[in-house]
Amino acid sequence: MIELSTLTYLFMAVTGVISMIATYLAVLEKDLVKAVVYSALQSTAYTLLFYLLMAPDISLVYIPVAVGLYPAVILFLIKKTERMEGDEK
Amino acid sequence: MSDLNTFLFNVFLFSIIINTGLSLYGVFVRPSLIKKVIALTIFSDSANVLAIAVGYRGWPSPDKPPVPPVVTVSEPTPSELLRFLDVAVDPLPQALVLTAIVIGLAVTLFLVFLTLQIYRLYGTTDMRKVARLKG
Repeated sequence: MIELSTLTYLFMAVTGVISMIATYLAVLEKDLVKAVVYSALQSTAYTLLFYLLMAPDISLVYIPVAVGLYPAVILFLIKKTERMEGDEK
Repeated sequence: MSDLNTFLFNVFLFSIIINTGLSLYGVFVRPSLIKKVIALTIFSDSANVLAIAVGYRGWPSPDKPPVPPVVTVSEPTPSELLRFLDVAVDPLPQALVLTAIVIGLAVTLFLVFLTLQIYRLYGTTDMRKVARLKG
């Protein structure tokens, strides 16, 4: 029988690993729109982490800012400028 | 805290530290200014999660979880406050992080505006091309 505390820490570890994978993909992705989507996935993982770390007020602020506003603003910027990150010459 | 719990919490802390390193790599090495802005948001968020993790406390006992730093009764008695102090997490990092998130939003909006102006002046958001331009 798995204990409740172990289950909480297990969720923390899994969410941390998910955020690590999403950060890796967001930093290395050439298509900036996909990078923004990976960054939003990473922000969702961080929201869960804030909740698990007993900071529900932070998650309530963090969801609209990091999952809503950041991707919207950066997508607007990509629409006004260029979509692909340049290759090495 | 049992050994398995300690290991799982260390996995979480390690992944956040790796995130900090990866986002610093994105800020310093990637050429696109937009990618730099994305990596900077990831960096500030990772620092915020680390600050919250500093204020976290382990489970006081296996059947008693920690609670958010919110008193849920309007007129608490001293004994209720003592019981609350036994299980509540530290509220100070949470207050600081709440401020840091809002300031980070303002800084990001400013950087987005600067990137847009650089694109309008130079016609590119590639840092190497901007550095090569004269004038």
